[in-house]
Amino acid sequence: MKRKRTLLWLGVAALCALIVGATASAQRSATAKVALVTDIGGLNDKGFNHLSYVGLQRAQKQLTAAGGVNGRVFITNSANDRKPNLQTAAQTGNGLVIAVGVLFEFGPLDDVAPAFPNTKFAGIDVDYGGLSKKPTNVRGIQFREQEAGYLVGYAAGLWETRHPVKGKMVVGGVGANKVPAIVRFLAGYRAGVHKANKTIKVLIDYANDPTFADQAKCKETTLNHIGKGSRVEFEAAGACGLGGLSAAKQKHIWGIGVDADQSFLGKHILTSATKHVDVAVFNTIKQFKANPSGFKAGFNTNYTLKNNGVGYGKLSSALSKADRTYITKKVNTIKTLIIEGKIKPPTS
Amino acid sequence: MSGLSGEPPDMTGQTPEVSEPTPESKVPSVAARLALWQRSGGVITPILTALIAFLIGGLVVFATTGKNPLNTYKAIFKGTGLSWLSPVSIHWHLFYPAGIHWTGWDTTSPTALNLQQTLIVVTPLILTGLAVAFAFRCGLFNIGGNGQYTVGALVAVQFGVWFAGLPGPLHVIVAMVAATLAGAVWGGIAGVLKAATGAHEVITTIMLNWIALWVGSYLVGFNGPLQDPRAISAPVTRPIADSAHLHVFWGNPLLQGLHVGFFIAIAMLFVYWILLNRTTLGYEVRAVGFNAEAARYGGISVGRNFFLAMAISGAFAGLAGSIDILGWEFNLDLTVVQTVQVGFIGIAVALLGRNSAIGIFFSALLFGALLTGTSTRNLDPSVFQPELAGNLTRIIQGLVVLFVGADLLIIYLWQARKKLRLPQRKAAEQP
Repeated sequence: MKRKRTLLWLGVAALCALIVGATASAQRSATAKVALVTDIGGLNDKGFNHLSYVGLQRAQKQLTAAGGVNGRVFITNSANDRKPNLQTAAQTGNGLVIAVGVLFEFGPLDDVAPAFPNTKFAGIDVDYGGLSKKPTNVRGIQFREQEAGYLVGYAAGLWETRHPVKGKMVVGGVGANKVPAIVRFLAGYRAGVHKANKTIKVLIDYANDPTFADQAKCKETTLNHIGKGSRVEFEAAGACGLGGLSAAKQKHIWGIGVDADQSFLGKHILTSATKHVDVAVFNTIKQFKANPSGFKAGFNTNYTLKNNGVGYGKLSSALSKADRTYITKKVNTIKTLIIEGKIKPPTS
Repeated sequence: MSGLSGEPPDMTGQTPEVSEPTPESKVPSVAARLALWQRSGGVITPILTALIAFLIGGLVVFATTGKNPLNTYKAIFKGTGLSWLSPVSIHWHLFYPAGIHWTGWDTTSPTALNLQQTLIVVTPLILTGLAVAFAFRCGLFNIGGNGQYTVGALVAVQFGVWFAGLPGPLHVIVAMVAATLAGAVWGGIAGVLKAATGAHEVITTIMLNWIALWVGSYLVGFNGPLQDPRAISAPVTRPIADSAHLHVFWGNPLLQGLHVGFFIAIAMLFVYWILLNRTTLGYEVRAVGFNAEAARYGGISVGRNFFLAMAISGAFAGLAGSIDILGWEFNLDLTVVQTVQVGFIGIAVALLGRNSAIGIFFSALLFGALLTGTSTRNLDPSVFQPELAGNLTRIIQGLVVLFVGADLLIIYLWQARKKLRLPQRKAAEQP
């Protein structure tokens, strides 16, 4: 009888050990559950939503060690989806919730994140300093646009110098509005052009488009620059800039794209100042995957040339071979200098 | 007065409040029988419409995903949170219940959150539905619900930012009244144009939608006068003062719980009914709606009623805008101004609800539930791909609107069925 009871206890103990062991090993090799909450515009917006989704898909494909990454997308169809999406993402056991877009900074992250202290949040384009409640489990993700702007500006300056014209040498940059990210792009652009050649005149203007999507406005500003002799136009203006780039095509001058590699628009795209939202999403997930409980938040992470968060796109295939080799070589030298911190592109 | 005329104002019979004198002792008169027919047709055709739309939507689901549409619809229904209302959950095994569980009313469950979100979406839909329906009853097609909603939202957000010192309820009332008036003005413009120049209200309200959209975009957009100066990188207004928030009576106020605006919308359903059926104004509006020329001959000022009907319609939509701002949105951003669809869905709500108060309530519930149920938050990716989930909403919405437009056909089929049955009955009675 006594022996039987001992056996029973032994059995219970073994079972307990098994359970504890199982949960412990489960913790070590746990699948990282990650949610991506997009903003209005759909997954195929050719912009931030799409690039974030690409980053998540890459993470699911590449980070396969120890259970891999289990991603779930929450699409925001209208403004009333923002908070419930964040909340449901946190409630359904996602350890990391990535919110895409600056509008999550004004309300949603401030209200939802403090209610789920054990969940980590990251906001693409969100400035941690702009959150009014400063939740400690939110990480802002920002980009150093000036570094990308500097490189494309330098490329524009090199081309302009190699193809001199009589009179003034002019290039231009168009922004949709005077918002920080655009100002940084254009400040870097101006400095980059001057790095290549101090005598080039750089025209910088803002289309003052309240929507960022009115192509006519950027086109008008760009045509104005072309009228003043500009031969390279950088459109730091989202969808508004598409109008400017089509003006560049019409007038047979170079256009420079922004955010994504816009070389698909045609041979008139000299290059693009790219913002790698997919890299930012992938790296954030990678850090979380490596150490979920140690994932730090309560600050901004900057995505730069150094961590491939920004960069420049393909050079146009319409460039002569000599130009292409020359520009590629020179731009890459400058890129190394920026990464090493020897050149610091200005932010304004 | 035949249902075949297809005029929405005619199809009013199903409301229980329309009291038809049905002499019970005598054989019902032709008029009473007609009313009865209309009443049944009035209720049944929208239900048929919705059912056919869901049937075809199911075929689309099957054709595109190859999955059982019933499972998709089950998942959508689960996502609406409406199952929260039932205290028991039944597990179905094919066609018979396999188990019944007492779940009670857990107010913190995800189902509760879903129901809160559904009702938050339903609230403005009721009001924009009323905005379309009231004009319909005057024979006017108000496509401007979206613009009137936007104007109301803009005014509400600015009044919510101003007067931050006011005590709570007063501040809410001030912002709400201002937004309602702004909506009334926006709708009234179309009414005045119709009355004074005969400009068609479909054209003018569509134009006013665009004006509201672009003025709103300018106001809240980058460097606009309403843009929050602290939020320079985002096109969003300042948040409204805490005193202007509507009280949240169910759920967490910070996590978008259900606010009392829902009851305001319900109250407006009663206001709508009383205004139409128990006031001189409503009588005149309906008279103009039935036949403007006859009303004019009867001494009713048609122009005045066009203006009033459009202004009252606009007031409902403006109120909807203010309730969204004061209830859960708390600020207004550019993407909302540019992408809001509430006013347009209101047209479908009014059409399916046949311009009656009770009908509008149920069709707003249907459309609100569809919007919440098909959101990716609720539709599991294993049931439906996230890329497609949003589109399924639009497919079903579109089908419902299509079939509401085609309800003539359904009424015809309904009638044909009766005609078929009549000879049968006669044949049965004869021997």
